Amino acid sequence: MSMPVPLDEVLLRPDVWRGDRFAPNEAGEVASGFAALDAELPGGGWPRGALTELLPAQRGIGELALLQPALRHCAEVAPVALVAAPFLPHAPAWAAALPLERLLLVEASGREAAWAAEALLASGALGALLLWLPAQVDARSLRRLQLAAEGHRAPAFVFRPPALARSASPAPLRLALSAAPQGLQVDLLKRRGPPCSKALLLPVARPVAQRPQPQAAPLPLRPQRVQV
Amino acid sequence: MLWLCLRFPCLALEVFPPESEPAVVVALQRVQAANEAAQAAGIQPGLRLAAALALAPGVLVHERQPAREAAWLHMLACWSEAFTPQVSLAAEGELLLEIGGCLRLFGGLPALRERVRAGLAEQGSFAVQGLAPTPRAAQWLARAGVEEACLEVEALPAALAPLPVQVVEGFTPAQQRTLAALGVRSLGDLLVLPAAGLQRRFGAGLPLQLAQALGERPDPRAAFIFPEHFAERLELPAKVSEAAMLLFALRRLLAALAGWLAARASGLSSCRILLEHEDGLPASELPLNFAEPTADLARFERVLRERLEHYRLTAPVWRVQVLADEAQPLAGRSLGLFGQEAAQALAPVIERLRARLGEAAVHGLACVADHRPECASRAVPEAQAGVRPAVAGTRPLWLLPRPQALGERAGVPQHEGAILRLAGPERIESGWWSEVGQGGDVTRDYFVASNPRGEWLWVFRDAQGWWLHGLFA
Repeated sequence: MSMPVPLDEVLLRPDVWRGDRFAPNEAGEVASGFAALDAELPGGGWPRGALTELLPAQRGIGELALLQPALRHCAEVAPVALVAAPFLPHAPAWAAALPLERLLLVEASGREAAWAAEALLASGALGALLLWLPAQVDARSLRRLQLAAEGHRAPAFVFRPPALARSASPAPLRLALSAAPQGLQVDLLKRRGPPCSKALLLPVARPVAQRPQPQAAPLPLRPQRVQV
Repeated sequence: MLWLCLRFPCLALEVFPPESEPAVVVALQRVQAANEAAQAAGIQPGLRLAAALALAPGVLVHERQPAREAAWLHMLACWSEAFTPQVSLAAEGELLLEIGGCLRLFGGLPALRERVRAGLAEQGSFAVQGLAPTPRAAQWLARAGVEEACLEVEALPAALAPLPVQVVEGFTPAQQRTLAALGVRSLGDLLVLPAAGLQRRFGAGLPLQLAQALGERPDPRAAFIFPEHFAERLELPAKVSEAAMLLFALRRLLAALAGWLAARASGLSSCRILLEHEDGLPASELPLNFAEPTADLARFERVLRERLEHYRLTAPVWRVQVLADEAQPLAGRSLGLFGQEAAQALAPVIERLRARLGEAAVHGLACVADHRPECASRAVPEAQAGVRPAVAGTRPLWLLPRPQALGERAGVPQHEGAILRLAGPERIESGWWSEVGQGGDVTRDYFVASNPRGEWLWVFRDAQGWWLHGLFA
C-alpha cells in the first residue's frame, strides 16, 4: 500500500487545478491587449507553449485584429509563422501590424500544414504560430501540435471552422468569435478554470471607427479612363 | 607528433551491402574476408573457397572488387579530413592521421577516438585504431590489433616487442623461413639482433623500417591530396529501384562531403545528387538546398531523408554521385545577441519544410512600391527588412487571389446581403504601362464596406462593375 498523498500536495501539481480557480501555466502568458479578455483568461493572457483554438463564425470579422497586439509583442523576439493562410497576405497591411522581416509564410494544405506547424513549434525558435486547419484534420493532429508546443515560449493559434465548436479538442483554450456591431464578440468555450458563461465584446481595431447607419455620401461617377 | 592508424580489416566486405546471412569475399579461390555469420560457421580468412562452401553451403560469395575498395578508402580519407588536415593513404586498407595537433580541439584522446569510432559506425564501417608517435609503429600496432596507445618515443621498444614479426611488410617466403629458423617470432626478438647482420640477411629495407618505427630515422609520408572540387561517386552493390534504399549509400558520400567541407572551413547552401541509370538513360538530378551555408552532416541527412521520402525513381539506379559546386567560407560561430540564435534554430526547420513542401512554399513577405494592391506584395526567400509600404490608406490583411465579381441589386452591390459602404472612395489609377499579366492597367474606386453578416470587406468599383478584393480580418 502506498501512502495516501495529502490533498495540498496534489493541488501543487501544475496539471491539477481547482475547478473554481484558474490553472497556472508554467510557460507564462502574453497579454492580449484587451483588459476585458485578459481578466477572463487563466494567467491573464494568451497562454505560451499551448494551443489556443479560435473558431470564427466568418472570415473578416476582426479575428486577426484580436491577436494583433499580442503578435506585435511576440514578433519583437522571434519570427511569427503563418501556416496555410486562407488568403493572400497583403504586405502593406502586414507591415503596419508587425515588422515584415519577422514574418514567415508556409503554404501547405491539411495534413501537411499540421506537420509543418508541428516541426516549426518543436524547433522552439518561433515567436508565435498562426495555423489554419480544415475540418478534416482530426483531434489527434491537434494533440501532436499541443505536445510540440509545450515547453516553448510561442503561443500557437489554430483557426478551425465554427462547426467544430461542439466537438472535443485537446487545446486548453477555445474561443468562438462572431461579429458584433461595435467590434468582436468572444465566447470562451473552454478554459482551464471555471466555465465562463458571458460573452465578451472587445473593441478590436477596425478600419472605420463607427459604422454610420445611413448610406452616407452619394456615389461618385464610375472610374473611367478618358480617351484623348 | 602522434599518429593514428586506421586499419579497415573488413574493407573488402564493406563495399557490399550488409548481410545477415553468411557472406565472404574471395580472390584467387581463397577467402579474403568473412562476415560475422560466416565466421560463426567457422569460415576464416585464408580458407579455400571449396572449404568455405563445405562449411556453409549457402554462403554468399562476392568476388573481390579492388576498384570499389580504393574508392571507398578515398571517401574515408575525405571524411577523416574533418579531424585533421594531415592524412595519408598508407598500405592497402590503412589510413594514417596525424592527430597530435588537434587533440585539444576534440577534447582529448579518448573523446577523439570515440568520435572516430562512432563516425565510422554510422557509415557502416569499422577500423582498428593503432596509436604511436611514429607512423610505422602505429601501422604495426593496428595490424597486430593492439589498440592500446603508445604516446612516448621512449616507450616504443617495449610496446612493439610483443608484436608478431608478420606485421612488418615485405618478407619473401624464403625470408620468413629464415626468420623461423633463427627463432625470431616477435619484433622484440628482431630488435635485439645487430642491424648489420639483419641488413646482410634481409636487405637494407628491414633495419630502415625498424629505425623508422622507433623514431630514429625520418619517415616522410605523402599527404593525401584532397580533391579541389567535390564530385565523389559510389557504385551501388546492387541496382536499386526504391528511393529509400539509396539513403545508406548516400550517407557515406555525405559523410565524406562533411569532412571535405570541414577541412576548408566552408559550408554549402546547396549540393546536387546525381542518380545514374543503366542503358544510357540520362541521370536524374536531386538537388538538396539548405537555408544557410552549412557543413553539418546531420542537416544534410535530414534534408536528404525528406527528399527521398517523396521521390519516385524513374529507373533503377546503379551509381550515385554527390556534386558540391559552390563551397562558401563559413564564418566562425560566435555567440549572438538574442534574435540571431532564433534564426539559427529556425534554419534547419525551414530546410526540412522546403524539402518536403517545395522551395516556393516557405517564404517571407516584402512590400513593393506599387499602388496596385495585387502588385504591392512580393514573396522573398529570406525574411528581410524591405521597403516601407507606398500607401498610407487603409489596407486589408487578406487579399483574394483574384477579385471576385459581386452581383448588384438596385444599384447596391451584394455579398451575402446588401453591402454597406463605410469609407471611401479611394481611387487607385495606375499601371497603364504594364501588360495584363503583370497587374495591368487599373482604374478603380476602393471602399471599406460591411455586409449583414458582419464581415468587413474591401470592395472596388470599376468600369465593369463591383468586385470584392480583400477582407479586414
